Amino acid sequence: MKNFTFTWDKGIAVLLVLSVVAGSFATPYFANFDNLSFVIQDIGEIALIAFAMTYLIIAGEIDLSVASTLNLSSATIGILFKNGAPMGIAVAGGLLTGLVCGLINGFLVTVVGLQSLAVTIGTLALYRGLCYALLGNNPVNTLPDAWTSLGYSNIPNTFLPYSTILIVVFGALFWILLHYTPIGRRVFAIGINPEAAAFSGIPVAKVKLALFATTGLMAGVAGVVYTLRFASASPDGATGYELAVIAAVLFGGVSIAGGVGTLWGVLTAVLTLGVIRSVLQLVNFDANALVIVSGGLLLISVVVPRATEMIRARRKSNTK
Amino acid sequence: MITAIQRLLKVREVPVFLALVLVTVITGIANPQFFSLSGLQDITLGVAVVATLAVAQSFVIVMRHIDLSVGSTIGFSAFLIGYEGSHGVPLWLSIVFGLLLGLAVGALNGFLVAYLKLPSLVVTLSSLYLVRGIFNEVAGGTTVTGEQVSKAISFLGQNYFLGVPYLFVIAFALMLVGGYVMRFYRWARDLYAIGSNPPASSLVGIPVARRTFTAFLITGAISGLAGVSLLARFDTAAANSGTGLELNVVAACVVGGVAIAGGIGTPYGAVIGAVLLQSITLALGALGVPQFWQQAVNGVLLIAAISLDRYLSSRVKPTQIMRVAE
Repeated sequence: MKNFTFTWDKGIAVLLVLSVVAGSFATPYFANFDNLSFVIQDIGEIALIAFAMTYLIIAGEIDLSVASTLNLSSATIGILFKNGAPMGIAVAGGLLTGLVCGLINGFLVTVVGLQSLAVTIGTLALYRGLCYALLGNNPVNTLPDAWTSLGYSNIPNTFLPYSTILIVVFGALFWILLHYTPIGRRVFAIGINPEAAAFSGIPVAKVKLALFATTGLMAGVAGVVYTLRFASASPDGATGYELAVIAAVLFGGVSIAGGVGTLWGVLTAVLTLGVIRSVLQLVNFDANALVIVSGGLLLISVVVPRATEMIRARRKSNTK
Repeated sequence: MITAIQRLLKVREVPVFLALVLVTVITGIANPQFFSLSGLQDITLGVAVVATLAVAQSFVIVMRHIDLSVGSTIGFSAFLIGYEGSHGVPLWLSIVFGLLLGLAVGALNGFLVAYLKLPSLVVTLSSLYLVRGIFNEVAGGTTVTGEQVSKAISFLGQNYFLGVPYLFVIAFALMLVGGYVMRFYRWARDLYAIGSNPPASSLVGIPVARRTFTAFLITGAISGLAGVSLLARFDTAAANSGTGLELNVVAACVVGGVAIAGGIGTPYGAVIGAVLLQSITLALGALGVPQFWQQAVNGVLLIAAISLDRYLSSRVKPTQIMRVAE
């Protein structure tokens, strides 16, 4: 254990273990297969989007429109199916919608040159508005059972929901790409210093455009999962998910200033968030638990690193 | 004469105002009812709350910061004022509680942003969550109904001063005060300096942290007091009051020329921006566009406004690279 350094993401892993243990003691309903299956289902969409958002925030950008993108993808699936398209085509349409939404964000940021924060506040309203324009007040609830059962049932002979496959596959893919390939190195380089990255030959705008497109596509994938899970496409679904995603990414040790973060930290943070939420719900905190926990964790994840940094700086100046 | 016109055109608020005139005239021609007194009253009443918050928001946006927690604060405050009023607390005292709530949220945001130097986006995003969560916990399923709302507050929401809704009169007065302060008070000018160039403003001796803290405190205080307007406007309050208002407020500011990159813009512009957005929303209704499109149009307008702003400013001076974290 000589070379062991205690980092933020290891701290989150410890917290995950602690919250699982605490949850098991706090309520007998936590540590059983039904509930664990529910926890994994519950975090599916957030995890899928968080993988892509990790890249985006490491590169120094942000996307607040992901929940609206997710739901626009869901609305597209609903409206296509309602108008007679086969479910497979409708799902493809949903994925395409996500990709297009991401490309629009990326275009506005990299080509037009606007700040991602302002742009995605705008597209948050735009994409959500389009959901209402498409669906009005009429959710589509008649999706075929063969598909929706994928959303809420488990892989045969296990307690794992089907979305686990997506989480594992995409998690591994995004992990390897971020930490073991030149693509990931470029993303970090851009986040640390975009000008230096550009001078060293990285096509900064292209990479950022690709990151926004990927984030949109992953929001589209999450939209498919969401639609199947709730067997419904409604205009007001997934409201506020963008905050949960960003909270999870930052809580996972990704710096909002860019250039710092690990994918496994984010995955651990998403799981921790899901566990804490589930435990709070089981011990009879209501749906607000999600709101308060996300807000609190988001705050902790920025305050604690900054506070320790300031204390360290003070100690250093004292010893001089 | 020509130079006077040129100077006028350089004022950031003028193009927005012209757009406003254009929208109202076109809609008025297509649907004359839009021009009637009740049409104008619809606009001014509908915009009052957002306009009030937009004045408050301009204090932080000129500093290159943002406060997303205002929707939660105003909703909580409206609920508190209504609820306490119906449980025997004197009206003035319940309003003081609303103000204290706003000050508390503002102080929290301000402390974290100014003294811990955390990005305001993340801080206020969390306080948006936290305040809303605590609010929901407190309110539960309780709804403050019209009969429970104090008579004085209901009166404000339903009556007109010389044909103008009282709520808009309040917003307008706040705009005049805010506009005057931001134009002539030294500490408020400092906010512009901070937004233009944070490191430089610190080098020239501006107490950046204290000013930042003050600005968030002001925004919080106004949001808390504005609970009165929100309660008066809808004559009811529940756990979802004020949800999503922050986006309309930021959109109003940006459309009205309060640039998100900081250093520029006025409360007048913010209010004109709010009125423009509201007019367009109502104009769409008057022109027969289904209401379901309104949010989408708001999003497009916001993007159009920042694109236009970017285009115009790129002709004037090279724009600074601003990153999310700043």
